[in-house]
Amino acid sequence: MDAKRDMANGPQLRESGTRQMEGLDLESVIARARGHDAEALGEIYRRYARRVFGLCRYMLDSMESAEDATSDVFLKLQRSIESYDSSVPFPRWLLRVAGNQCVDALRRRHRGQRAIAEVEDGAAVIETASSEPSPLGAVISLEERAKVRDTIARLPENYRVPLVLRYYSELSYDEIAQQLNLERNYVAALIFRAKQELRRRLPHRSK
Amino acid sequence: VIMECYSEQTCALAVDGELAADEAQRLRDHLTTCARCRALVDALRAENRVLSESLNELPEEAVSQAGFSPQRWSWGWGDLAIMAAVLVLGSIISRWFNELSIPAALEWFNPFSLSGRTNLIFNLSYDFAQGGTAMLADYAAVVGWICLLSLLGGSALLLGRRAWLRRGGMRLLIMLIALSLPSFALERRHGDFVTVAANETVDDTLLASANTVRVEGIVNGDLLAFGRTVEVRGTVKGDLISCAQRTEVTGTVEGHIYTITHSLDLEGQLGHSIYGLVQSLHVDDRGRVGESIVVAGGDVSLEGIVQRSVNIFTSNGDVSGSIGRDLTMAGRNLTLTNTARVGGNLSARVRRLKEVHIADGATIVGKRDIQLRVRESHFTSPRFYFHQAVWLAGAMLVGWLGLLLFPGFFQATTQLVGSGWRSLGVGVGILAGVPVAMVVAAITLVGFPVSLMLLAVYLAAIYLAKVWVGAFVGRILLKPSGATKGDWLLGLLVGLLILTIVGFIPYLGGLVHFGVVCLGLGAFTGQLYRASRPVMTA
Repeated sequence: MDAKRDMANGPQLRESGTRQMEGLDLESVIARARGHDAEALGEIYRRYARRVFGLCRYMLDSMESAEDATSDVFLKLQRSIESYDSSVPFPRWLLRVAGNQCVDALRRRHRGQRAIAEVEDGAAVIETASSEPSPLGAVISLEERAKVRDTIARLPENYRVPLVLRYYSELSYDEIAQQLNLERNYVAALIFRAKQELRRRLPHRSK
Repeated sequence: VIMECYSEQTCALAVDGELAADEAQRLRDHLTTCARCRALVDALRAENRVLSESLNELPEEAVSQAGFSPQRWSWGWGDLAIMAAVLVLGSIISRWFNELSIPAALEWFNPFSLSGRTNLIFNLSYDFAQGGTAMLADYAAVVGWICLLSLLGGSALLLGRRAWLRRGGMRLLIMLIALSLPSFALERRHGDFVTVAANETVDDTLLASANTVRVEGIVNGDLLAFGRTVEVRGTVKGDLISCAQRTEVTGTVEGHIYTITHSLDLEGQLGHSIYGLVQSLHVDDRGRVGESIVVAGGDVSLEGIVQRSVNIFTSNGDVSGSIGRDLTMAGRNLTLTNTARVGGNLSARVRRLKEVHIADGATIVGKRDIQLRVRESHFTSPRFYFHQAVWLAGAMLVGWLGLLLFPGFFQATTQLVGSGWRSLGVGVGILAGVPVAMVVAAITLVGFPVSLMLLAVYLAAIYLAKVWVGAFVGRILLKPSGATKGDWLLGLLVGLLILTIVGFIPYLGGLVHFGVVCLGLGAFTGQLYRASRPVMTA
């Protein structure tokens, strides 16, 4: 009863439980979480909340909706963790779940339509004009990385979402296509264009 | 063999590991011979690294979020800005309200003036004594409707921004704080004997608490007096607010008199009205009331002049003076002597006709309307059922909104009702204790806004008590398998219906009513306490 209520209030940490769990390896934590162990769920939360939140923050446009999506992911984890089979690494699986949650949130905002609509026909065909800016060179400084991040955050949704799913969640094109309910080719095109848009927006740097 | 170079898109696919195996192999072969493509692939690979590295270094807000404190609400600059804006707006509005020339008759209605605030408190205590808990429940219903309306308005405004709605309570609190902040200057005096000497002038509002408070000089603001005896021989330019055993005005009060006192004697001049709970009110033949009298009490004797109307709820009323407009009384005994004059209508509600004595010489300009108070059943009137239906619908709506906005809190509170005696005990304590705390806060005056806020929360909680208990009762009866919002609401409907019906059983109904309020308040307090603890420990 109490454990249930705790979960209902959002996954909160118990001081004592956390310490106990800290040493455990991921597999046993997951195994215990499957048995609806509130402490284990709390531990998963402690380990991955930040990463999940990061994804939500990139995918959604406000802090609030990102917080909402994050807590939704962990609230549903109690049930969804049953569907986890260790064929993929857990963090990756979790990010996929989180990605789905965000896509759902985006879809809700778009009133039930696809999160990312295929706008143009033949989008998969991309002409490479010779004037396209060249790939971004290595970025060393912290500020430069922050700038890249900011620019990504400001990309239009249909560029930003696939890009984040690919390079933050590290999903394959197929997985992204499945999440967004799009053709694989179209995903590839979006990612390619997203990068080009990013290059265009970032001040030109010497390589 | 000279192969054609690959497009950038193909290279990008390859770098992302998304190229079909055979094609990837062909590309790799090509790279060994083509420096240009090799450079491109290397650049793309570097770019990917940049992307993942940049993205994986979470932005600061996410890092601060990582600790994810159980309390997810933190003060951001936005919140501070909103609070500041509300503060500014609040003070502007309150200024504006004060400068607005509201008709004098409505001035007491203005919650931003001191008299408005005291009036609010006064009216509440007055009505509380009059109608008891029924009245309080009505007030709570009013507060409920106000809450409901503001919730509806707020929801409409914030539609689509769910996260904002969740913070609704917080915003409301900020609003309340901001609106009640504009404070006022006052002077305090206390001791055994507080006096304002004949040649003395107090410019501010004077707060005096003493065995005897005597004003022989002039108080330019209001006089708030608490003591055994309060005497005004000089002049109070504002209102007189007294809580005393004996209040005596032989001088002048230019504003209103709000009083809870055993006996009030008016031998001097009063600019506006008297509102009070008075065991015995005596307006001497030298006394003059500029406006009206609204009092509840034991004995009222009017020998002087009242310019406007008189409303008295008393056991004995004696009128030998002059009343400018209507005389309305409800009570046991009414006597009008030969010298009495009523400029408007006389309406009296008494138990027996022979308790009304109107001397032949008495002048009544308007109509005489004397009614016997007969208890008639309200169950026969359709209005009663309509009222109940509206009430029920309102409570359902409030429950639904509450569940929508604070789902965890509402459901947990409902569950806490189940802790029975503990909730009941806590509830009794809260029901009795909060008014005391409010009075204490109000008397210290620094706490005036606090006391107003407390009052709002208190009344809202009394209203919601029925909702929580109703939901709980419904749950017990229906025993829903799940805990969905639909179940909760259905339970609420059933529970409210039962509580309403039980409430009409004579005597028992009142007891049930009381129990429900206490249980709900107790559960609410318990849940507040739980929610305020930072770390949940079982």
